[in-house]
Amino acid sequence: MKLEGEYIFDGPREDVWELVRDPDVLATALPGTQSLDQVGENEYEGVMNVRIGPVAGVFSGRIVVSDEVPPETCTLTVEGKGKPGFINGTGYVNLIDQGDGTTLMKYDGEIQIGGRLASVGQRLLDTTSKSMIRQGLETLNKALQARIAVKTGSGEVEYKPPSESEFAAAVAKDMAGEALSSSRTKWIAIAVVIVIVIVALILINIGGG
Amino acid sequence: MTKKYIGKRIKRSEDPRLLTGEALFVDDVEIHGMLHAAFLRSDYAHAYLRSVDVSAAQAREGVVAVFTAETMGDDWQPGPPLVSPPPTVEDVIFHSRTQVPLVKDKVRHVGEPIAIVIAENRYIAEDAVDDIMVDLEPLDAVVDIEKAMQPDSPLVHDDLDSNLAAHIEQEKGDYAAIREGADLIIKRRIVIDRGAAVAMENRGVVAQWDAKSQRLTVWDTTQAPIAIRNGLAARLDLSEHQVRVIAPFIGGAFGPKMMMFYPEEMLIPWVSIKLDRPVKWIEDRYENFYATTQERRQVHDAEMALTLDGRILGVSDVFLHDSGAYDPYGLTLPLNTQCHMMGPYDVANYYSESKVVFTNKTIVTPVRGAGRPQGIFIVERLLDLAAKELGIDPVEIRKRNLIPPDAFPYEHKIIDQAFAPLIFDSGNYKPVLEKAADMIGYDQFVKDEQPRLRAEGRHVGIGIVPFIETTGVGPYEGARVTVEASGKINVATGVGTQGQGHFTSFAQIVADQLGVDVRDVHLVTGDTAEFHWGTGTFASRGSVVAANAINASAKLVREKILALASKVLESPEDELELADGVIRVADIPRISISLGELAMLANPLRGAVEPGTEPGLEATAYFGPQYGAIAFGTHAMIVEVDPQTMMIEIKRYVAVEDCGTVINPLIVDGQIHGGVSLGIGNSYYEKLVFDENGQLLNASLMDYLIPTAAEVPRIEIGHEETRSPLNPLGSKGVGEAGAIPVPALFAQAMENALPEYDLEILEAPLSPNRLFELLREKEREL
Repeated sequence: MKLEGEYIFDGPREDVWELVRDPDVLATALPGTQSLDQVGENEYEGVMNVRIGPVAGVFSGRIVVSDEVPPETCTLTVEGKGKPGFINGTGYVNLIDQGDGTTLMKYDGEIQIGGRLASVGQRLLDTTSKSMIRQGLETLNKALQARIAVKTGSGEVEYKPPSESEFAAAVAKDMAGEALSSSRTKWIAIAVVIVIVIVALILINIGGG
Repeated sequence: MTKKYIGKRIKRSEDPRLLTGEALFVDDVEIHGMLHAAFLRSDYAHAYLRSVDVSAAQAREGVVAVFTAETMGDDWQPGPPLVSPPPTVEDVIFHSRTQVPLVKDKVRHVGEPIAIVIAENRYIAEDAVDDIMVDLEPLDAVVDIEKAMQPDSPLVHDDLDSNLAAHIEQEKGDYAAIREGADLIIKRRIVIDRGAAVAMENRGVVAQWDAKSQRLTVWDTTQAPIAIRNGLAARLDLSEHQVRVIAPFIGGAFGPKMMMFYPEEMLIPWVSIKLDRPVKWIEDRYENFYATTQERRQVHDAEMALTLDGRILGVSDVFLHDSGAYDPYGLTLPLNTQCHMMGPYDVANYYSESKVVFTNKTIVTPVRGAGRPQGIFIVERLLDLAAKELGIDPVEIRKRNLIPPDAFPYEHKIIDQAFAPLIFDSGNYKPVLEKAADMIGYDQFVKDEQPRLRAEGRHVGIGIVPFIETTGVGPYEGARVTVEASGKINVATGVGTQGQGHFTSFAQIVADQLGVDVRDVHLVTGDTAEFHWGTGTFASRGSVVAANAINASAKLVREKILALASKVLESPEDELELADGVIRVADIPRISISLGELAMLANPLRGAVEPGTEPGLEATAYFGPQYGAIAFGTHAMIVEVDPQTMMIEIKRYVAVEDCGTVINPLIVDGQIHGGVSLGIGNSYYEKLVFDENGQLLNASLMDYLIPTAAEVPRIEIGHEETRSPLNPLGSKGVGEAGAIPVPALFAQAMENALPEYDLEILEAPLSPNRLFELLREKEREL
């Protein structure tokens, strides 16, 4: 399964890079993450709750970051497994300075999903994963705004990460919108988990740089 | 014998029990101290098994034992093949690779069991499955059967040079020669996809080892209890008489419950002996999608040679057949396909080559239809395309090619699924085709109704497809009929029953032979303690092989009754009649004796029994047909399509069946209803979708669509009777017939409904999505 997409952060590339080097921020952007720990120079292990339609369970996974060119690109390799099945994938992330103070994040990847996640969650995988990515990235963007505001002293911008239920509600709302107006995104096909993983990877990777 | 019951629409005697929850199913078996099993199954389709750590699972409270291939020790052995390769055909390649109880070195399909957990209850067992740490090294999966045959494909079985499981060619006449002179060649690639049987009841096994009596009792959702008993005895090193296998009421089987042996079928009894405790395992629906066998994926390169007036000169076909990860069922399916690719037609020249391919998918064994729907789909699609090309009406082109009634027995000079010559024993095809056309009002529809509806902008199409079904193959079945002192009759036979109405139809035969009320005939099926010779319920053979064995034993009992009654009543046998449970002198009805009294006289408590006589009014007999009986029929449908939504409505459905002597038309109707329902699923709904890693993407009834009451139309049924000369009852099978012609019929009707698109349907099943794609492709072309 292929995964592809892009997102514009309202901030300079270095700040985005710095933001995502912080695993704690990443964990808050993806509610359900129980832990995310660095276990080697470029290696992380994490545990996350995932729910896709009728399939729910705890995933434990390992992320390896390679081919890093800070603050531009990196490659992420992910292996996760849990009761709902497994995910293996690699993703490539690229941060592009747009010259107007914003940063374009492009990512694409290839993932394999197996077990119940693939066989029972299939029909919800695409929309749920798109939505989770979007919600996750938007949360990160808010975190970015808060940091920039503090840095520039231009007043307080409150950043409060969403709770797991708030996140789920936003995803559900987003999915309903997705169903009503298709082709809002140009992502081809996405697995939820990969999404999570990718975001996590990006953040971590950048952090690890 | 007077035919008081045979041929009558007798209501099924088993239904009150089934409908009021009184019938015993495997999951109803509750035994004190019973343990429960759950399996750890692979999430990967293809992977090396590096290690399994069961220590955490074993430590969980309530877990009694955990077994892996390693801890099974010498008891770990691959399952025996069910069907051996044919000895009579030259140059057949067959690589036998059978399923294993638990994965030892390599996983070959998603859902293959790696470990079995035995616990105090199922909840604990399932939780403990999650405690097991398994290290799998994933390999590229073999999924697509065409790619599987390429030289660079990964191998499902590392010890073979390729993924070729079997290769068989069959030839009749000389197709290559006739092709030269043909007026028209229709050549197409046609694909039939994989589906599931989806019985309402999943599989289940309960085993109880009784150490004190040294006996093993197994309740199993199997179609073949006797074969399971014999296999278990051999594998567990027990005498066959120490093992009793009971196939109680079963909620549908449709073929996959005939796969001897499933890993679970061997493991649960083995564990029961090992732990000296009763053990139960009930498959859940999710497991069923991976662990229960499936069928139908084939890719055909087919062609038909014809004359300008639409006569078939020959058929040639090369196809790949997906076997899944193992091939325990031998060549049954590809042989069935080969035997149906000439349909009911007089085809003088035929060439067929089949390559059976291993893939990293669930094992393939027969599902109701069993290779036959594919063969019929090929020949009917080619014929429809030829009819279009030649401008001949679809019904007319079929009439021109049907085997004429005076050509029977019609020898095809190829071998069938039983490795016997394919001979069509009897048939009269044209009246059945005409009756179906008549019932659906074919001419009137085409001339008046369809043009009128089309003028209204509606897309309504008609289809009509004749077909044959090889049924009633050997080797044999048997039965024992006993008259009890109450005057009631007990009948025991070895075949299992999964909803076919055996308790009623078999009783009808005995009631007619013995002149008793049908309600006084009690049937026992599928219990090896009651009868232990026979093979099983499969291949549409119950009403042929088992029914004739029952008929033969009832006849022997009738002879015993007459002989004894003749003495008791002091009247010659030919002056006696059996009716209403008594034997009487036909002309002097007051001279009579009841069957019960006679049964007591046949089993005296005092006095001397004459040498050479047997006690009781009881007999056992067997029946084995020389070769299979060929049933046939024609189905027709009118379908309306909405080209906006791609939704369909089957407006009329007609099925005319000829299955020889009909024992009970009500039961035959029910078989057809069920078969057609599956056929509709195979036509427009039921498709198992795999990704490139061998992951099944629709493993739930939320996404795998089976027809419901809303999709199955009212079915109008016509019966014709052409007796089979191969058995005394003259019967033929009908269990699979309903499913066989439906995909071919549906394709024809859909093309007819959408004339402006000039569709060619070369695949089954379609689906609303797939139809949408086909129509968009056509729109782009136009």
